[in-house]
Amino acid sequence: MTSTACFIIVSRNDIPIYEAEREDAAQLHQFILHAALDIVQDLAWTTSAMFLKAIDKFNDLMVSVYVTAGHTRFMLLHDSRNEDGIKSFFQEVHELYIKILLNPLYLPGSRITSSHFDTKVRALARKCL
Amino acid sequence: MADPANTPLGKMLLEEITPVVMVLSTQLVEQACLKNGISFVQMLSPFCDFTNIDVPVRTASDQPYRLRKFKLRFLYSSDVRQPNLEVAKERLKQVITHAGEKNFLESSEPSQFNDILSRPESEILPSWFQFFNKELVRTLSFSDHEAFDHPVACLLVVSSKDDGPINRFVDLFNTNKLPSLINDGAMDPKILKHYLLVHDNQDGPLDKATKLLAEMRNAFGQNDCQIICINSSQNGNIQHQDNPWALFKPDALPTENLGGFPNLDDLNEIKDFLQELSSKHIIPYMEQKIRVLNQQVSATRKGFRNQIKNLWWRKGKDETIDTPNGPVYTFNSIESQIRILGDYAFMLGDYEFALSNYRLISTDYKIDKAWKRYAGVQEMMGLTNFMLDQSRKDAEYCMENAFNTYLKLGSAGRRNATRCGLWWVEMLKTRDQFKEAATVYFRICGEDTLHSAVMLEQASFCYLLSKPPMLHKYGFHLVLSGDHYKKSDQIKHAIRTYRSAIPVYKGTTWSLIKDHVHFHIGQWYALLATYDVAVSHMLEVLASTCQSKSTQELFLRDFLQIVQKSGRTFEVVKLQLPVINISSLKVIFEDRRTNASSEAASVRESVWRSLEEDIIPSLSTSRSNWLDLQSKHIPRKYKESNICVAGEAIKVDIEFKNPLQIPISVSSVSLMCELSANPEEDANSSNIELPENESKTSTSTGDINSSLILSDVDFSLEGGETTLVQLTVTPRIEGILKIVGVKWKLSSSVVGLCNFESNPVNRRVVKGKRKAKHSPSNDLKFLVIKSTPRLEGFIHSLPKKTYAGDLRPLVLELSNQSKFPVKNLKMKISNRRFLYAGNQRELNVDFPACLKKVNVEKSGGHTNGNKMSQNVFHFPEDVSVQEETSLSWPLWFHAAVPGNIPLYITIYYETEGSSIMKYRTLRMHYNLQVLPSLDVSFELSARPSQSQEFLLRMDVVNKTSSECFQVHQLSSVGQHWDISLLQPVDSILPSQSLFAGQSLSCFFMLKDRRSSTSEDSTPPSLFQSDVRLGPRDSSEPPFDVSSSPLADFHDCERSCQGVSSQGYEYKVDFIFITQLPKGNIDSGARNTPLVLSHHACDCSLSSMSPISWVVDGPRTIQHNFSAPLCAVNLKMTITNSSGSVASVHINTFDSPSSNSQPKDDATASHPPENQTGWSDIPIASDTKIITNEALATRSSKSLSLESVPQFIWSGSSSTKLTLQPRSTSEIPLQICAFAPGIYDLSNYVLNWDLTPVNDEVNQGGGNKSSGSLQGHPYYLIVLEHT
Repeated sequence: MTSTACFIIVSRNDIPIYEAEREDAAQLHQFILHAALDIVQDLAWTTSAMFLKAIDKFNDLMVSVYVTAGHTRFMLLHDSRNEDGIKSFFQEVHELYIKILLNPLYLPGSRITSSHFDTKVRALARKCL
Repeated sequence: MADPANTPLGKMLLEEITPVVMVLSTQLVEQACLKNGISFVQMLSPFCDFTNIDVPVRTASDQPYRLRKFKLRFLYSSDVRQPNLEVAKERLKQVITHAGEKNFLESSEPSQFNDILSRPESEILPSWFQFFNKELVRTLSFSDHEAFDHPVACLLVVSSKDDGPINRFVDLFNTNKLPSLINDGAMDPKILKHYLLVHDNQDGPLDKATKLLAEMRNAFGQNDCQIICINSSQNGNIQHQDNPWALFKPDALPTENLGGFPNLDDLNEIKDFLQELSSKHIIPYMEQKIRVLNQQVSATRKGFRNQIKNLWWRKGKDETIDTPNGPVYTFNSIESQIRILGDYAFMLGDYEFALSNYRLISTDYKIDKAWKRYAGVQEMMGLTNFMLDQSRKDAEYCMENAFNTYLKLGSAGRRNATRCGLWWVEMLKTRDQFKEAATVYFRICGEDTLHSAVMLEQASFCYLLSKPPMLHKYGFHLVLSGDHYKKSDQIKHAIRTYRSAIPVYKGTTWSLIKDHVHFHIGQWYALLATYDVAVSHMLEVLASTCQSKSTQELFLRDFLQIVQKSGRTFEVVKLQLPVINISSLKVIFEDRRTNASSEAASVRESVWRSLEEDIIPSLSTSRSNWLDLQSKHIPRKYKESNICVAGEAIKVDIEFKNPLQIPISVSSVSLMCELSANPEEDANSSNIELPENESKTSTSTGDINSSLILSDVDFSLEGGETTLVQLTVTPRIEGILKIVGVKWKLSSSVVGLCNFESNPVNRRVVKGKRKAKHSPSNDLKFLVIKSTPRLEGFIHSLPKKTYAGDLRPLVLELSNQSKFPVKNLKMKISNRRFLYAGNQRELNVDFPACLKKVNVEKSGGHTNGNKMSQNVFHFPEDVSVQEETSLSWPLWFHAAVPGNIPLYITIYYETEGSSIMKYRTLRMHYNLQVLPSLDVSFELSARPSQSQEFLLRMDVVNKTSSECFQVHQLSSVGQHWDISLLQPVDSILPSQSLFAGQSLSCFFMLKDRRSSTSEDSTPPSLFQSDVRLGPRDSSEPPFDVSSSPLADFHDCERSCQGVSSQGYEYKVDFIFITQLPKGNIDSGARNTPLVLSHHACDCSLSSMSPISWVVDGPRTIQHNFSAPLCAVNLKMTITNSSGSVASVHINTFDSPSSNSQPKDDATASHPPENQTGWSDIPIASDTKIITNEALATRSSKSLSLESVPQFIWSGSSSTKLTLQPRSTSEIPLQICAFAPGIYDLSNYVLNWDLTPVNDEVNQGGGNKSSGSLQGHPYYLIVLEHT
């Protein structure tokens, strides 16, 4: 089992549009994820895969990233390896995210406030991670 | 790439890894040197760096090469040992603190990245890093696992003043004083010795010294002894250009004259001595040693045989002693010698040779598991590779290997790892691998937080310098470094790093990060007691909505603490707490339009404008008075600005929102205003009287206090709460008033200011829009004019909620608080069905008794009719509201229809005091909720035979849920109708009251009185236009529906229901009056009885035609049929009840064939098998009245089998006549009967056609303009006369 600290969706403009925290040391997690954006920037263009695996780490916390075609980044902060689970988690979240995008009332790049999305993501996290 | 030697790392290595010369000196030597403020080593130091010597060097290879740069390190023997850890740490801390102080003062506001990145690298990197790194590396010198710090030579220095210098020389090289390295056996004690005699020229001539030198040369050898002279200058005031010692004693005071005594000759002498020492002694000695060692090593280790042997016997070596830290090697072990060989070769710049030796030894150490030594050798291999600039990969691999190996050693190797890392970082930096360098810096971080902080900060700079710059990482590492600094109490450094991180996070939406940074900077500045900066940073986090409740509490608490500590009151322009919704800003002011209540102010201006249209003077007329005056007196600039009156409050509504989850308290909320004198009023000497102080501008705060009254509001907001606050400003003198903004106090410590102007949000200004194009600043600018009278208006006891039909008197109270009377009052009420002004004498009438009929006949019949016709109520000329009095005026109220009813009342009045404002209007607005009470409907049906009588059915349903209405009275309006009950009311409604949900049906007889009165002239007192439905026994008189207010309201109803007042001869209006004994609907909870009146207009028989007739004549005649024929004369009376001329055409027909003539649709129900004579005439649409006669017809139907008519119409078969409006005429009719029998004389048709007199007549809608009617049944019995 991966113990996940934080999941965040960052829009192409580097704005967090969705955050799911498990516990409270929130600002450190934000710092780590924010800093990892640099690495994502480097790596995203070197591969055609959307799942970039664990690209950065800080002490024992690792950052796994999934980049969608629209350059929205799903960033997961976790502390143990479970690459397959994380990959499937990202893929499922991607589907949910696409559904959000299909909503004509959702402005891409704005904050995701759907409680349904939140519930689904949390359920997925329990399932895959 | 540049020559490795010229890179920062190369320079560092050439500086740090150089031969060490151990100095042993006597006390007197030091004393001589101290005259100059420096020690002996310091005196030599400036001259031991040789940049342009040219020494041929031949090491292991036969090919000599030339050494161009060389450096010696002179150290006292006491310093040749591992530095004390604590002392070293303390020293490093001082370095950092010092740098912190210095940089903190220099640090400017964080600039933009473009600025930073455009600057050269050297400027970005703080210079003290270099210094710190050097110091850090130096703390690790003289480790026993490395040989390059081992002294190569020993310089023994004795002063010429010493007694027995020769003995002193011997004593100096005494083992007691020698460093532990030598004593431990890690270093060869047999090193090169050089003897130096120092002569202080101030102590005497040189002769004695030269003599001593000769003695020394005898004792220690010709070449190894030398003499130098110092302090040759007598006065000690020699100023050296670029003082060579300044660099080496940085902490010296600037006033101190370093090296004042040695003159130029002395300096040259020292220089020459050192040059000779290095080139003639040390370098050759090292060459020599290399060659010797190389031979030894070659003999034991080189060659195939030795290698095999080494592999074979390596394990079994017994020279080494196993310790927990790996084997200990003495200086004469072959491993140590190889290491020395490598180090010497490195120092002499023969890197390839050094590398081969390092390679050789590293495998040995690895096999021996001497990890520290192994790491050290790997480190050197890396450096050598770097200096060779050949294999980068190898260099990095070696460094990483060394670093990891050091780390594996645990805390023992930690500091070595740091040094190794630093070198590695430099190596990576040289190759522009900044990202990798940063990770190495990050790995250097150990348990020492202070060092980690510096390393992290350096790492952050690496990220900044990497291409492309990795700003996110830069920010993150700065913040990490700041945290470490804070942990080791370096607050200034912490603040500096955080501040550098601000540009990274500027404008970011990663709110937690932003809050963290600003909050900590704020806190730390507070620790430094720099409160204003602290506050400015804390302000950034105050309104952070995404934080948890506890964090928000923490932020707010800390913020308030800081503010308290500062002991000042801060005025903050952009205080985010609470949030002000600028778009909610609403300014309510009163110029000539005044509002009685705040509800009136919120009504749209267009509503009032349409209401006031015909009471205020029109524009053309008013131009001659106040507008003209205004344009004269008021500068053009302010023409469009709003006008307000001195002494009257301007209200500003604004919304405050608490974005946090915790409650906040806000106090002293008030407006910020500027009141200035009207700039052109002085010049324009007008008849406006200016106050004395008007001439000077009153923008200063002192004046504002006296001339403005500002309201002060305190409130507290729960988490997430929004509240609307009304603030007022009352100018007391004339001038120009400008509302600048709002200010408030948060938790009674911080003053927040919000400027309305600066916010480019559209404001809603309710009033005063004379022009569509309006600059927003003008909306908040007011021209204050002299105070004028202002009426306050209030309607007493106007219910908020009532039942439909409620009728009651109200009192309007107008009060004038000013010193001037007002006159010419006019009033207009929007909804006249509900409210109208009464007569002054009705003011104190007793209600509802005043509605009752009094004996005086026609007392007040339509007294107000005149007023009703026009919409504006003019108060009588003599009515005026005097100063400081009030006027009460009666109003009548009637809740006409259910629903939510807005009532707008505007009162116009003229004033005498002001010349700018001739008149003002007072606007009152009320909202009524009228609930349905009784549903009353009437139905009229005609009695066919009685043209003037009708049957009236009244249906009443109580629609309320709880109320019980007492039925009181039904009245018909006008004098034309008699109304009477068909059955006593007791039988229908014994209780006389209608309970909730109950319905009631009543039948009445209605008689048109006009037709009868014309003949009978019944006295009017006997008229029964009212029917009492209430209890019989009560003697109180019925309500008078023909007097005010019932009649007036009835007229309103009529006009509202769209009925013209003409032509209601057959249309009846009813007023149904009930009482509610205990009205509990009124919010006032007064159990006053309510009188409810329900008005129904134009009840008419739906099929009733304007033409009615009655056939009159004998009913039974006896005739002797022996006579030729029996003629019967009949009389038909035709009445035209319509308002227009009617032409009536009566057709009689006898034969069945004539039956086929066209019939009116209204009589289409006539049976097709219409027999002549005995026909059944069903009465259309009225099945209730089935007369006995009709029954008789039916029974006699069988009689009419014969087809021969028994009678014929004689006389004219067709008569045409014209009837004037509302007239009656008679025409004679005659029949001839041929046989006795009963005849129905209904076989005629009456065609009528109305010719309208004017257009209005036909607008009644229900009126038919033409029609044809079947004759009424008329039975004539003809008997055989015998």
